[in-house]
Amino acid sequence: MSVLRPFRAADLFKFNNINLDVWTETYDLAFYLNYLATWPDLCCVQASPGGRLMGYILGNAEGANTEWHGHVTALSVAPEYRRLGLARRMTALLERSADATYRAFFVDLFVRCSNGVAVAMYEGMGYSVWRRLREYYGSLGVGSRGRDEEDAFDMRKPLSKDPGRRSVRANGRDMIVQ
Amino acid sequence: MERQIRPIYEALDTGSNKSALVACNKLLKKHPKNELIKALKALALVRSQKVEESLVLCDEVLAGKPTNDAVLTALMHVLRGLGRHKDLVTMFEEAYKQQPANEELAAQTFFANVRVLNWKAAQQIATRMHKQFQEDRYIYWTVISAILQANDPMTAPDMRSLLYKLAHRLVTSSPTPSYVNADRFHLHLSILRELELFDEARTLLESDIGKSICTASLACNELRRDIWRLQGLFEDEGKKAELRITEQNDRNWLEFLSVLDAACSSTSAVQDPDESTKAESSSRMRKAQELFTMVAAHDGHKDRSALLALLELEKRARLHGISNDKNRMVDLMKQYFEEIGDKACCFEDLKPYLTLDVEDGERWVSFLRSLMPSFADSNDLRRLINSHKLLRQNLALDDLTMSAESERASLYTKQYLEGLKLGASLPMTELQPADDLAILAGNVFVHLWKLSSDEKYLCNAVALLEFALTKSKQSFQTRLMLIRIYRLLGAPSLALEHYRVMQIKQVQHDTLSHFILSRSSTFSLAASGDLTFATECLEASQIYLSNAQDTGEYIVRAFTGEKYSQIPEFIIFEDRLDNSLQRDIIKIEHLRMRLAHEAITSDIIDMELIELKFIYDRLHHDNRDSEILADYQPRVIQKFSEQTLLFGKSEGSGWLRTFLKVYIRAFQQGSDLDDTVEEKLLIGDRPKQTSPQNKLALKDRLRQRNDEELTELTPEELALVDYARALADWLEPYHDHARPPPGVVLAEAAKQAELKTGHPLKGVEIPPKSGNANALLFPKKDEEAPPVTEAPAIVIQFFDDMKTRFDDAQSASSPSLALHVAALMQEAFLLFVVETLRFKAPSVVKVNKLGALVQQFKPIRVNALAVLREVSFSLLKRSEQDATAEQRKKFVDACSPLIALNIDHDFVLGAAKKLSDSRKKVTEGVGKGMSRMCTSYS
Repeated sequence: MSVLRPFRAADLFKFNNINLDVWTETYDLAFYLNYLATWPDLCCVQASPGGRLMGYILGNAEGANTEWHGHVTALSVAPEYRRLGLARRMTALLERSADATYRAFFVDLFVRCSNGVAVAMYEGMGYSVWRRLREYYGSLGVGSRGRDEEDAFDMRKPLSKDPGRRSVRANGRDMIVQ
Repeated sequence: MERQIRPIYEALDTGSNKSALVACNKLLKKHPKNELIKALKALALVRSQKVEESLVLCDEVLAGKPTNDAVLTALMHVLRGLGRHKDLVTMFEEAYKQQPANEELAAQTFFANVRVLNWKAAQQIATRMHKQFQEDRYIYWTVISAILQANDPMTAPDMRSLLYKLAHRLVTSSPTPSYVNADRFHLHLSILRELELFDEARTLLESDIGKSICTASLACNELRRDIWRLQGLFEDEGKKAELRITEQNDRNWLEFLSVLDAACSSTSAVQDPDESTKAESSSRMRKAQELFTMVAAHDGHKDRSALLALLELEKRARLHGISNDKNRMVDLMKQYFEEIGDKACCFEDLKPYLTLDVEDGERWVSFLRSLMPSFADSNDLRRLINSHKLLRQNLALDDLTMSAESERASLYTKQYLEGLKLGASLPMTELQPADDLAILAGNVFVHLWKLSSDEKYLCNAVALLEFALTKSKQSFQTRLMLIRIYRLLGAPSLALEHYRVMQIKQVQHDTLSHFILSRSSTFSLAASGDLTFATECLEASQIYLSNAQDTGEYIVRAFTGEKYSQIPEFIIFEDRLDNSLQRDIIKIEHLRMRLAHEAITSDIIDMELIELKFIYDRLHHDNRDSEILADYQPRVIQKFSEQTLLFGKSEGSGWLRTFLKVYIRAFQQGSDLDDTVEEKLLIGDRPKQTSPQNKLALKDRLRQRNDEELTELTPEELALVDYARALADWLEPYHDHARPPPGVVLAEAAKQAELKTGHPLKGVEIPPKSGNANALLFPKKDEEAPPVTEAPAIVIQFFDDMKTRFDDAQSASSPSLALHVAALMQEAFLLFVVETLRFKAPSVVKVNKLGALVQQFKPIRVNALAVLREVSFSLLKRSEQDATAEQRKKFVDACSPLIALNIDHDFVLGAAKKLSDSRKKVTEGVGKGMSRMCTSYS
């Protein structure tokens, strides 16, 4: 139960409970304003009935020809609002917009290989691994799971413009990119 | 030529301004008239802080009315660097006039006006652009310019509706319909909403394309919902929402609210509903209830919307007197807890429903009490935590005795330690599921401190929270609490340490720096040469420069990308950051540190005066985030964030205005720059006056005493303000008498400028030399000096009075208050220095016959310095006592209940040592700084 609404510039004053979390990066103004000035329909927040921000998603659209796709750049939910299905809803909204407004072939996102919960969630939503990116994330210390801490999966989900599912493949986990 | 110029661009791009300058000079020898090289040189100069030289060059190129694209771009950057946005507009307008067919120039002229928010001119240019270039988007540029002009608070109401009507006419006359893209559609709808053209709006919205846009665009759907509500179509909207909930599985809370509003609409509309209306309402509510019950059964544990909607429905039914089951509210709350109690947000969800009557309250509390604590898994733990938070929220004052609170602290701590076992195997980057129990205990300890004023409870909070951080390194909630508590305890370096770990950056500086910078001059060691806090102030202020540089760019980008829905939002954002209250509070704190650190000269006084005057008329926005602090205090007492405010007071705009007045007055008196001089010497645009124009002159406004503003001050700050006012009132006539006349000041400034740049100062006419070398000293020889009056008692007494306060504050074990008094005494002395600087020159005193006045300064000064020395000595003595084993033992003893619960003794001792070291550092640093200041001013 939360209000799903567009991300507004003034939300930058209110996102501390989300961004103080160690996994969430705070970028410069230009970053957020660029997203809002270019892809406002791929950016939204979830707020509690009392107005507190719970999480947000920022996305863009990029790529040439059949690589034209929606991309999830940032997806973050405040610690106290996890396990409520917020990420799922915001991703669904981004997919809808990427499909209907941008006519994209697919949506993709990056996730830490070690983040099993997230990977499983995205798989449940129809995403599959396209490739594995070596050392994509900076390490936050010695990871308990070695390589997996720093490597990322690039996961994709085809949209209605790709009925033949040409934008995904079965053996993505084996496709390693340095 | 291009080949020769490329290295200049490269140097500028990489920030090598020096080599850019060298390259420019070399090329200028060969091509002395080339305006591009000159423009680039001006850019290199302004980036090397050589403002005066840059100005001369820039004006030279501008005078030639350039139209070349590269020259214009270079000058654009120069003018922005100089803050001359208005001149930028003129430059592009001139160029566009010469080349009216140049679309790029037209757009630049439009954007230059956008940057200065000159919507009227922007609108006219866009209109011309549409005529000339026949592009649809220019119609929309005209439209949004008209709307933004209408929305400007300075626009009269009838003008506003006129502008909206114009916008409407333009949109409807556009050759392509607005629905070709969502942002144009959004703009169109916002016009229709403003003009209440609801029929037209509905036609658009109910068309197939309108519907499909609203499905895909949250922003358009928001407007649609708004329009429906404004028309009172609650039932219709409710039906739509019901369909979205049942058929599309939409769980947006806004849809549930629409159903709720539809169910209550008929009751809300009538003041005294008769029986039939009531019956109708009941039936509607019943229907909504059926819907929510069905959805709740379907969603179960997965989604909480329907369960919460049931609660909200019952709350509204009770409000309208049509609830028919007196048990229902608590039953629903119980149900909610049972389903959602294992989610962290359960407490926050239920909070709005916790105000219950006695009977309900008892049932609710006994339900929560009947729950058996379980630590079987983290779900059970969260239930336990939620039940504690919910129970605590409803505690009455009678339940909040020292002994009851002590028991709670001990219970929460025990359960916290028990709960830690559940997270034992989590990686260090994860939060512990038991964290909130430690935070709850921290809340209780702070309340115990409030009740008893006994610092030992804060020591317990510190020890427990520090321990919790070793288990849950990323818990920012714990850190924020510690920051507040360490400041109360007079351990600013520990507070800063925690603050830095959180890696606050970018826009967070605006919203969170108050945690560490609020009244930070109290703890600043600037006088002793340690600029830690001063640097922190400067770093936190960077974001305001980024805002000035970047946000405007993205407003322009939103225009080119036609994202009209974003433009008003960006403008609001830019304004909120530009006129941020925190920004100027930091400015004042930094100024106070600066004066303690640097020698006070007329240069500093002049520069700070100009800057503070810019700030004074701003209409400030408070962006500070204090909601971020976890608060689990009962409803009947202060919130945690209020309880832990340093000195119990938060600085707001009243505090800021009061201190601005103090400093502007002191600097105005100390400065030779009066308004006429400043007008001539100042480069760049004057700030936008966002505050409604006050009819009184600044000088008179500065004298106004506003009691409401003063309530934001601590008693000690109030004493300083009264002292400063008395001092300024006393010395004003002598300053006014002795200040050289504007002509003389300007001539001197012109002379200095010419010495520096080799060019005369533009716009300043130097009066013919009278041959009187003493012109500066003989300004008003015809006027009698004002009679010398005695120093006001308040000024004479101030330092002794404050010393008494200081001695009283020294008895507290936290040095915070003593440091507060000491810092204000030091500040009072520095204000005295500012106010008497002019009269230091013997010639000024002699010429103006002010010897009798200056005579009076001496005893005040001597006494002040003597008192400050004593204060410095006490602080230094204290610093030795602070870091002793005895002090640490006191802390450890205070924490014996925690040690009894198995928190390691050595860990507590470590926390004690850190605290006493930090206190020693600050008392010693401030003491040394004061003594250093006394030496340099005696």
